[in-house]
Amino acid sequence: MFAHLIQDPPKNFVEDPAPPVVPDAAGQLPRLASTFTDVDGLYYFTIVVCIFFFVLIAGVLAYTVVAHRRKTIDQAPASNATHNTPLEVVWTVVPLIIVMVMFAWGFKGSIDMTTVPVDARWYKATAKQWNWTFTYPNSTQESYGELWLEVDKNAAFVLESTDVLHAFYMPSMRVKRDVIPGRNQTVWFRPTEVGVYHLFCAEYCGNDHSRMYAKVNVVTAEQYASKPPPWVKWDDSTPSAAAASAEKQIYRTLCLACHTTNGAQLVGPSWTNLFVRQADGTVVGAQREVVVAGQRQTITVDEAYIAESIRKPDAKKVIGFENLPMAAFALDDQKIKGLVEFMKTLAPAAK
Amino acid sequence: MTTNVPALDAGAAAAGPRRNFLDVATGFWSWASTLDHKRIGLMYLVGVSLAFLCGGLFALLVRLHLWEPHGTLFSNADYNQIFTLHGAFMVFLFVIPAIPGSLGNILLPLMLGAKDVALPRLNLLSFYLWLVGAALATLAIVFGGFDTGWTFYTPYSLYTEQAVVTIGLAVFVLGFSSIFTGLNFIVTVHKLRAPGMTWFRMPLFVWALYATSLLQVLATPVLGITVLLVAFERLYHVGIFDPRLGGDPVLFEHFFWFYSHPAVYIMVLPAFGIISELVSVHSRKPVFGYKLIAYSSIAIAVISFLVWGHHMFTSGQSTYAMFAFSFLTFFVAIPTAIKEFSWVATVWRGSIALNSPMLYTLAFLIIFSIGGLTGVILGALAVNLHLHDTYFVVAHFHYVMMGSIAVAFFAGLHHWWPKIFGVMYDEFLAKIACGIIFVGFNATFIPQFIMGSRGMPRRYATYVPDYTDFHKASTIGAIVLGCGIALMVYYLVASLFQRRQAMQNHWGGVTLEWHAPTPPPVENFTTPPVVTTEVYDYSTLDLDTMRRPVQ
Ligand code: HEC
Ligand SMILES: [Cu+2]
Ligand SMILES: [Cu+2]
Repeated sequence: MFAHLIQDPPKNFVEDPAPPVVPDAAGQLPRLASTFTDVDGLYYFTIVVCIFFFVLIAGVLAYTVVAHRRKTIDQAPASNATHNTPLEVVWTVVPLIIVMVMFAWGFKGSIDMTTVPVDARWYKATAKQWNWTFTYPNSTQESYGELWLEVDKNAAFVLESTDVLHAFYMPSMRVKRDVIPGRNQTVWFRPTEVGVYHLFCAEYCGNDHSRMYAKVNVVTAEQYASKPPPWVKWDDSTPSAAAASAEKQIYRTLCLACHTTNGAQLVGPSWTNLFVRQADGTVVGAQREVVVAGQRQTITVDEAYIAESIRKPDAKKVIGFENLPMAAFALDDQKIKGLVEFMKTLAPAAK
Repeated sequence: MTTNVPALDAGAAAAGPRRNFLDVATGFWSWASTLDHKRIGLMYLVGVSLAFLCGGLFALLVRLHLWEPHGTLFSNADYNQIFTLHGAFMVFLFVIPAIPGSLGNILLPLMLGAKDVALPRLNLLSFYLWLVGAALATLAIVFGGFDTGWTFYTPYSLYTEQAVVTIGLAVFVLGFSSIFTGLNFIVTVHKLRAPGMTWFRMPLFVWALYATSLLQVLATPVLGITVLLVAFERLYHVGIFDPRLGGDPVLFEHFFWFYSHPAVYIMVLPAFGIISELVSVHSRKPVFGYKLIAYSSIAIAVISFLVWGHHMFTSGQSTYAMFAFSFLTFFVAIPTAIKEFSWVATVWRGSIALNSPMLYTLAFLIIFSIGGLTGVILGALAVNLHLHDTYFVVAHFHYVMMGSIAVAFFAGLHHWWPKIFGVMYDEFLAKIACGIIFVGFNATFIPQFIMGSRGMPRRYATYVPDYTDFHKASTIGAIVLGCGIALMVYYLVASLFQRRQAMQNHWGGVTLEWHAPTPPPVENFTTPPVVTTEVYDYSTLDLDTMRRPVQ
C-alpha cells in the first residue's frame, strides 16, 4: 500500500473548482448566498455565548493560579468551601436557559430548512461513486459535475444514490442532506446571489470521495432563460477546440477517476496516446492492441472505436486491462464527438 | 467478608515485606500469568501507549499528506486506509481502554482499600482479549487494510474489497474486553470497599469508573451485534443493511450510534474522574460539589443512551426525532457544564501547586471548555445541518478525544507515576512538554474549526485550494504536538532508568492509594485500611510523607 511513497502519487483532485469561498464579515462562515439566515444568527449567538464562558473559565483559572499559588509545602488553601448552593443553582439554571434558547432557535431553523416551499422548481441530483449528475425541471437534459440555477428562485432537489451513501453539501447555501440508496431524500434552498459555488460530497463514499465535486452556477433570470449553459449545442462548424472544451466537463466528472490526461495509469489506460499528431499538424488515430472475443487484434483508434469503448466497453478490451471493468456510459453522439475532440488535444507529436 | 488473595506470585510471601509488586517476581512468565491488578494495569499501559503511538503516527501521515490541496504522499485509496487506521486504532485500541485498563486497573482497588479487583482472572482475560483484538486489527492491515472510516457505514462497508470482516472481528473481541473490565469494576465497587468506605466516601475517580462500567456493560453488546450483522451481511447477504437486498443502511447508523454515543462517555467519564482527583490534590481542597459531580456522572451515563440521533440530523430523520434528539443533546450538556464549573471552583482559592500533573490538568480544563462548548454549537439543529461532517466536527471531537481525554490520561500518568514506580521523572522537562503539547494541540485544531465552518468536508484525501492555508497551519501544529509527545515519552521512560527517588506521598494526596506503601506491595496495604474520615479531608494530610523518599 505504500508503493506510492516511492512512485509519484497520482494527483487525483478537483481540477478547475469554483472560485474560493468568500468569508463573511466575521471571517467564520462562507458568505451566505441563500435565505437560511437562522444558521448564521444562531451560529454567531452560540459563538458569543461560548466565548463568554471560555473567557470566564480561563480568567478565573488564570487569576487564582497566580494569586493562590502554593509557595511553601505546608501552605493551606485560602478557602475550604465544599459547596455553595446558590452558586450551584445559578450555574445549573443559567446554562439550562441558554441552551433551551439555542434548542428552540435551532429547531425553528431546521423546520424552515426541511419544509420545501410549494413553488419550488424540482431538480434531480443523482450521486454515484464519484460524481454528480443533475436533471432539470420539466426536461430530460442532464449535466454532469456542473449545475445551473436561477437566482432568487426556490430550487428543490430529489436526491438519489445508485450505490453507497453520499451527502449533498453546499457550504454557501448552508444545506446538507445525506443521499441514501433506496430512499429519496429532498433538500431545498433559494440562492440569493449570482455566483459560482462549491457542491461537495460530505459523506464518505470511497476512493475518490474528495473528488466528488460539482460547480454550481447561480445565474440571472435572463441567462438562465436565454442559453441554459449545460446543454450548449454545437455543430460541425464549431471549432474543434470549442467542442472539446464544451464536453471536457464529462471527462472531469465521469471519467477522471480511471483515466488520466498525463500518461499516468489509474484503473484504465491514460488518454494521452489514443491519437498522434503528425508533422503536418493533422491528428490521426494510434494503433491499439485489443482483445475481441478472446482474440488479439490490432486496430486503429477512430471515433467508432471510442464510441464502442464507451457504450460497450467489453466489446474490445485493451491489452493489459483485459480484466479491469469499465461501466458503460450511454452518451449521445454529440458528446462522444466532443470527447474525441478533447482526446485529440492530448495527442503527442509523432516520433 | 473474605477477599481474594492473589493466587499468583507464589514467591511473594516468602520474599519479605519490603518487596513491592514490581520486583516481587521477575521474568516473562511472572508478568504473562500475573493476576495482580497493578501488573495487568501496567501491561495495559504499555499496550495502549503503543497503540497511541501507532495511531499518532498515522495522524502525522494524514497531516503531512494534506500539506497540498492535491495531497503529497498517497493515492486517494491509500489515504483512506491511513485515516481509517488512525481512527480505528485511536478509538478502539487507545481511547476506550486506556484509562480504565491502565490507571483504572491499578488504582480502583487501591482507592477502595481492596487487595485486588473482585475477579482477577477475568481481569487478565480482558487484557488478553485486548491483545487478540490488537493482533486482529494489525492482521487486518496485512489482509489488505480497510478504508471504511472507523464508523463502518453501510453499504460502503459491505461492498469495499477489503478486510472489513477481520477488523469487525477485532472490534467484536475488543468489545468483550471492555465488557469484562466493566463487569469486574462494578462487582469490585459493590463488594470490595474497605470497612467505613461508604458510597459517598469513594473518590470521584471510582465514581467515574463505576459509571463508565455501567455504560460498557450495557452499550457494548449493541456494537458487538452490529459488527456481527455486518459480517453476516458481507458473507451471506442476508439483506439487513444492503439496499440492493432490501436492507436499510440507515438502520446501521442507528445501531452504530446507539453504542457509539454512549461510547463517547465511556471514553470521557474516566478522564473526568482523573481530573476530579487532580484538581483536589494539587489545590489541596476538597472537590467542590462532590455529590453533584458523582450524581452527574450517573446522569450522563443514563441520558447518553438517548441522544444518538444527533449524529444523524442530516439523514432525513422525522421532525419529531430531530426535536427529541436535539433537546436531549442540550440536556446532557448541563451535567457536563456542572462538572467543569465545579472543577474550576475546586481550584479557586486553593493552595495551588503548579507542578506538571497540575499543568496538564489546567490544560485539560481550558481545552475541555472549548471541546464542550463547540459540542453545544453542533447540537443546535440548524447549525448542525451546515457543520455536520466538516472539519468543525473533526476539531470538536479532537478537543474532546485528544485534548481532553488523552491530556487527562497524561495528567493522571504524571500524577500517579511516582506512586506506581516509586521514581520521579524530570519535572522541568515535563512542564516544557506540557507547554509544547498545549500549544501544538491548539495550533493543530483551531485552524480546523475555521476551515470546518467555512465548509471543508472531513475524510478528504484532496481538497479545493480555498483551505490550503488552514491545512498547512494544522500540519505544522501537528508536528509540534508530535514533538511534545515524543519528549514526554522520552522523559517518562528515562525516569525508569535514572531512578530518581519519589516521595512516599509525592503530591500530598489523602485518598487511600496514598496510604499504601510506595510502590505498593502485591497485597496493596500492609494492614487492611479502615476508613474513618470523609474523602478529600486534607486536615488528615501528614506533610512528612511528602518529604520522605521511597527507600
Ligand atoms: C471504473 C473505471 C473507468 C471509468 C469511470 C471510465 N473508464 Fe474507460 N476504461 C476503463 C478501463 C479499465 C479500460 C480498459 C479496458 C477496456 O478497454 O474496456 C477503459 C478503456 C477506455 C477506452 C479505450 C482506451 C484505449 O486506450 O483504447 C476509452 C475510449 C474509454 N475507456 C473511455 C471512457 C470514457 C469516455 C469514460 C467517461 C465517460 C470512461 N472511459 C470512464 C475504466 C474506466
Ligand atoms: Cu460521495
Ligand atoms: Cu454523540
